Amino acid sequence: MHPPLGEPILEFHDVTVAYGRRPVLWNVDLTIDEPGLFGIIGPNGAGKSTLLKAALGLIPLAGGTITFFGRPFAEVRGRIGYVPQRETVDWDFPVSVSDVVLMGTYGRLGWFRRPGRRERDLAGESLARVGLADVAGRQIGKLSGGQQQRVFLARALAQQADVYVLDEPMAGVDARSQELIFGVLSELRDAGRLVVVVHHDLRTAAQWFDRVALIDMRLVAVGLTATVLTPENLERTYAGRLDLLDELGRAVEERGRTS
Amino acid sequence: MTTLSFFTDGGGMHAWAIATAAMVAAGCALVGTLLVVRRMSLVGDAISHAVLPGIVVAVLAGGRPGGLLVLVGAVAAALLTVWLTQLLRTEGGLAEDAGAGVTFTSLFALGVVMVTAAASRIDLDPACILHGVLELVPFDTLPILGVEVPRAFLTAVVVFVMLAVAALATWKLQVFTAFDAGAARAAGVPVAAVTTGLLVATALATVAGFEAVGAILVVAMLVVPAATAELLSRRLHRIAVLSILLGVAAAVIGYLAAWRCNTSAAGMIAVVLGVQYLACVLLTPDDGIVARLCNHGWFAWRVACEDRLAACWRAEETAARGDAVPTLVRPTVGDRLADGWLAITGRVARGPRGWMLTARGREQADTVVRSHRLWESWLGRHADLPLDHLHPPAEWIEHHLGAQVRRRIEAEVGMRTSDPHGRTIPPEP
Amino acid sequence: MTAPIGIEPLLAISHNTLVVACGVAAVGFAAGVIGCFGVLRKRALVGDAAAHATLVGVALAFLATGRRDLPVLLVGGFISGLVALGVLVLLKRCSRTRDDAATAIVLSVSFGLGITLVSGITARGIPGGAGLEQFLLGHTAALTTADAVLLAAVSAAAVLLLVVLLKEATLVAFDSSFAAATGWPVALIDYCLVMLVAVMVVAGLPAAGAVLVTALVVIPPVAARQWTDRVPTMLLLSGVFGVVSALCGVAVSAVVPRLATGPLVVLAAAFIFAVSFVVAPDRGWWARHRQRLAHQKQ
Repeated sequence: MHPPLGEPILEFHDVTVAYGRRPVLWNVDLTIDEPGLFGIIGPNGAGKSTLLKAALGLIPLAGGTITFFGRPFAEVRGRIGYVPQRETVDWDFPVSVSDVVLMGTYGRLGWFRRPGRRERDLAGESLARVGLADVAGRQIGKLSGGQQQRVFLARALAQQADVYVLDEPMAGVDARSQELIFGVLSELRDAGRLVVVVHHDLRTAAQWFDRVALIDMRLVAVGLTATVLTPENLERTYAGRLDLLDELGRAVEERGRTS
Repeated sequence: MTTLSFFTDGGGMHAWAIATAAMVAAGCALVGTLLVVRRMSLVGDAISHAVLPGIVVAVLAGGRPGGLLVLVGAVAAALLTVWLTQLLRTEGGLAEDAGAGVTFTSLFALGVVMVTAAASRIDLDPACILHGVLELVPFDTLPILGVEVPRAFLTAVVVFVMLAVAALATWKLQVFTAFDAGAARAAGVPVAAVTTGLLVATALATVAGFEAVGAILVVAMLVVPAATAELLSRRLHRIAVLSILLGVAAAVIGYLAAWRCNTSAAGMIAVVLGVQYLACVLLTPDDGIVARLCNHGWFAWRVACEDRLAACWRAEETAARGDAVPTLVRPTVGDRLADGWLAITGRVARGPRGWMLTARGREQADTVVRSHRLWESWLGRHADLPLDHLHPPAEWIEHHLGAQVRRRIEAEVGMRTSDPHGRTIPPEP
Repeated sequence: MTAPIGIEPLLAISHNTLVVACGVAAVGFAAGVIGCFGVLRKRALVGDAAAHATLVGVALAFLATGRRDLPVLLVGGFISGLVALGVLVLLKRCSRTRDDAATAIVLSVSFGLGITLVSGITARGIPGGAGLEQFLLGHTAALTTADAVLLAAVSAAAVLLLVVLLKEATLVAFDSSFAAATGWPVALIDYCLVMLVAVMVVAGLPAAGAVLVTALVVIPPVAARQWTDRVPTMLLLSGVFGVVSALCGVAVSAVVPRLATGPLVVLAAAFIFAVSFVVAPDRGWWARHRQRLAHQKQ
């Protein structure tokens, strides 16, 4: 991965995100300029997934800018791999494991072209990397939670991206699959990629990530894991909702004032 | 013809037709309130189609239209529909709407075929099924206490009374289940029975409406008044009452309009219901589209005025410090309009170097700048932001802070009198 | 030897019926294929709102042009169907009304408006107006050869477009957020799929009528889903089921003219579904029942 000299890989500049008109993320300023395993940690409903989705253009920004390699996301989509949450999908959908992984190659194929030999080989390799080569033909509903998550990961691998963005990949996944997934992510990190992961578990966060950002409706702290995951910071993040931001959010939504 | 003769002509046929439609509308609106609030509008749609074979079978078995056997047949068909939909979901993996779509279209088709095949023995015809024959209702009568009362009216009254009694008796349970079925179940409410009761009520309301407005327009009577009422109130019992009033009003107006325009009464009633709904979507205060646009416009105007006041304040602060006043950005049209309005309302006045704040203007500008700088202090303390990133967020948040919140922020960041940039925070006026 | 008197008219009728049957079969096939994506997207009944609204467009087209040619009426129906869908989207976005209630409102009110117009036309005795009622429950007996050819062409074009966009449609139907994040214009593709459903709903009006045409885009796909776990197979099977249903309806309706075509088509489709529901391997009720018994024995 060769970012233009001086450009950070991923930069959030004064980012505010709203659902409807109600801000849920306030003025986040975050710069990631080195590859590695980067975790986004925070309590439920703190806006971690929202931040990710805003970066990928899935939610519009109410303020600020987000750039990858100094460019807007739309220009560099091909270099960003995405692993969404498992709930976003109907697992009863009539597609097989290899069908899903092939979807990762669609971005490079473009309109109307069908996947060919090269795409199928790539999909096969990705499946092998996550240890699912033997279930390639199975309908996706017939997999365990961990296997389903690995299918999503294989799909992202098939995108052959420089930055990988994962939304709660370890939620509801058995320990063995978690280890497997973490292994693949470490390989990506060692190969010089940036892997950004929204994660819910503090304990494993301390073990797995090089750097973390603590989010609770705003950026609380960011940096090396050991420096950031201090008791004071954790208290600032986890000890109770910031009522002020809730109230303010309502006022903004209604175009009025707080009390 | 005079108004009175309109209603008394032909044995009062118009009056009876309107009364029947109104009665049907009342019953449907009552049931529809619960259906809409429980997100069961689709079930209402399904049941109104699916009762047809039940009605046909009952009539073939000797039941009189609108009689007890027909009501039973309809209820049986309704329950069958719901059961089939659930079965398709659990055993066939079909989504809710797909299962309902399969079930009610099939049953309705079955009903139509039965009606057409048994045309000689049944008094229904497909047109009647689809849009009712309200105009003919007054001609099929039973003598009650010496008065010729239309049979359909009787059915509608009986059904309405049953529904009203059932609603009053079980209202609290219905509301609880509608609001939170899980909590209701945990609290011991027989949720399955309550829901089944609602389905039975829907079937009855549908049958009562069948002859008047037909299968599909019954859906309009079930769903639309309740949806309109929901826009007007958030209390369930008020929604129920309002929806009944709206439904009855639509029945009366629709019938009269249809008579004037020489067209189907059922269709017109549905159109009137739609107009009521649309009017509320557009015109309700607070939620209506017009209200929201006005709110948006007013807010934008308030922001423009406050921004101009704050700009004046800052210019005067810079001048007072003795620094050179920076070349101002050329004011836009909006800025000029805001300046004009501020001048008219006595908050700024013409001075040697442009606009100057009056006492009133200064008071309001103090508030805006105070909000801005307090928010910068709060952000500086709570969020990891560099100094030069504090201004843009404060620029738009300053318009949303009220007095109490400002005091809270001040208390929290300490009673300092300067923001992170070292500039003075004006005190609370 | 000269042909017996009456054979030639018989042959002519037969030819027309054949063409009509082909046209309706094409519609059945296309409706089945295109309906698959509505069902897979969990939006099975969006087509219903459009279907009930077509009546308004048909009536208005008749009033505006004074003509009862099928193409004219169908274009009117298509426009009103699209308007109804547009209104539905606006209601969902701009009002507090829940989605299911909004669909029911659009469906029933637009149908009411359609009935008002058709009934008004009939009551005023406008020549040609009486036939509009046939759009309620379908009536293929009145189709001309030209009409059938038009329907077949529209159906073929719709299927072709879907096949060309198959991978994009499958991607968006399966995981729209991944599709959006990888650069696909999800809203545009969604819009195309909805348009195709609207087209087929309108094309199906002669065969099934406004009230029941939604069954043509819902029942064959859910029946096909029972038999397969792959999208291409599902599309093909759904198309075949659609053809069979449509042809059954047309055939019975030709033999018993007073029966409207729509209900017969739907019953045929429902029968196919019922059989699929019970008999299909893996997903069928019988197969699952046997699996459960086998589990219990262990």
